[in-house]
Amino acid sequence: MNIKNISIVLTVLLVFIAALVLMQKGNYVDQATEHYKKTTDASFNGGKKILEYVNNSVDVNKLVWAMAVEANQTVKTSQDMAKLEAKYFPTTKGSNSIANKTRRFEATSAYFIVSTFDKVDEDKKNNLKTLSNLKSIDVGALMGEASAPVEEPEGEEFEEGEEE
Amino acid sequence: MNMKKFKILAIVDGVLIVALVVLMFALKGQYNDQAQSSVKEQVGAYKATVNAALQDQWKSMDQYGMAWKLIYATVTGPKTEAAFDANVKKIFEDTDARFKQVSYMYTAASIPAQVQNDIAAVGLAEQFLLKNEGGVKEIACGKNCVAKFTFVKGKLKDSDYKALIEYKFAENFSIDAPKEFKFE
Repeated sequence: MNIKNISIVLTVLLVFIAALVLMQKGNYVDQATEHYKKTTDASFNGGKKILEYVNNSVDVNKLVWAMAVEANQTVKTSQDMAKLEAKYFPTTKGSNSIANKTRRFEATSAYFIVSTFDKVDEDKKNNLKTLSNLKSIDVGALMGEASAPVEEPEGEEFEEGEEE
Repeated sequence: MNMKKFKILAIVDGVLIVALVVLMFALKGQYNDQAQSSVKEQVGAYKATVNAALQDQWKSMDQYGMAWKLIYATVTGPKTEAAFDANVKKIFEDTDARFKQVSYMYTAASIPAQVQNDIAAVGLAEQFLLKNEGGVKEIACGKNCVAKFTFVKGKLKDSDYKALIEYKFAENFSIDAPKEFKFE
């Protein structure tokens, strides 16, 4: 009777161990899969974010470059510049500094251009001052050499755009 | 069943149990090694893919930056073939300015300096001037982007940088999601 019980217990144990052996691989696969997923997902999301951030930021950079190139070919006055800005960036306006004879257009704080003009024109009727004779455009920020912000003394700043 | 048969069964069970336990321990080591090497290999391969995509973008941004500088210099300066060639050379050889420009773009995109350094380890783009035949010059303006300048008798006849103006960054730089893990 005793040996009968022992053999039954051993058979049950055998089945149990056989099951353990069979499941063993599955456990390792699960653990490895989990680790792989965690690591690669982090890598994927991190990489994707970098690509997206750069892509989105350079999209703006591209428009500012295109605008600066076109401005060099077509712009003569600060009004022309304002029109060009509106074409490329309908929601952002540049601003004139009559004192410095410059117009600064900032698409973002990193990407801006500063156009320098030769003359200040004044409309006698409404005292509206504008700039004319485009001399040069500073594209330092686009080349990665952001120049110091243009100093604009208080009261000298003049928003353009109403005349459009 | 008589006692003799139970005895044989118990012995067979015992032998099999010992064999299975031995097998289990042997497999344990094997599976462990397999899991570690599989994960290491596949994670490594995926990270290399991601890295390659980021480095690809970095080099393309370098070409992109050089292209704009060249276009700007061409538009604002003398429109001669000699001036163009000199600009291409000057822009391409000024690696400090190139690095500064790309790095500025990445900083503007809020990419931390440490991450930038890791990507920048790949170096700058190896190519800029792609073709220079009979007055026709092609320059790389990024991945899958070519700008073309045509000179006749040393004078600029046509500049075509439409590809750069219409360049879609999102279409050119992306990373595929990781594949399913394979326990090999």
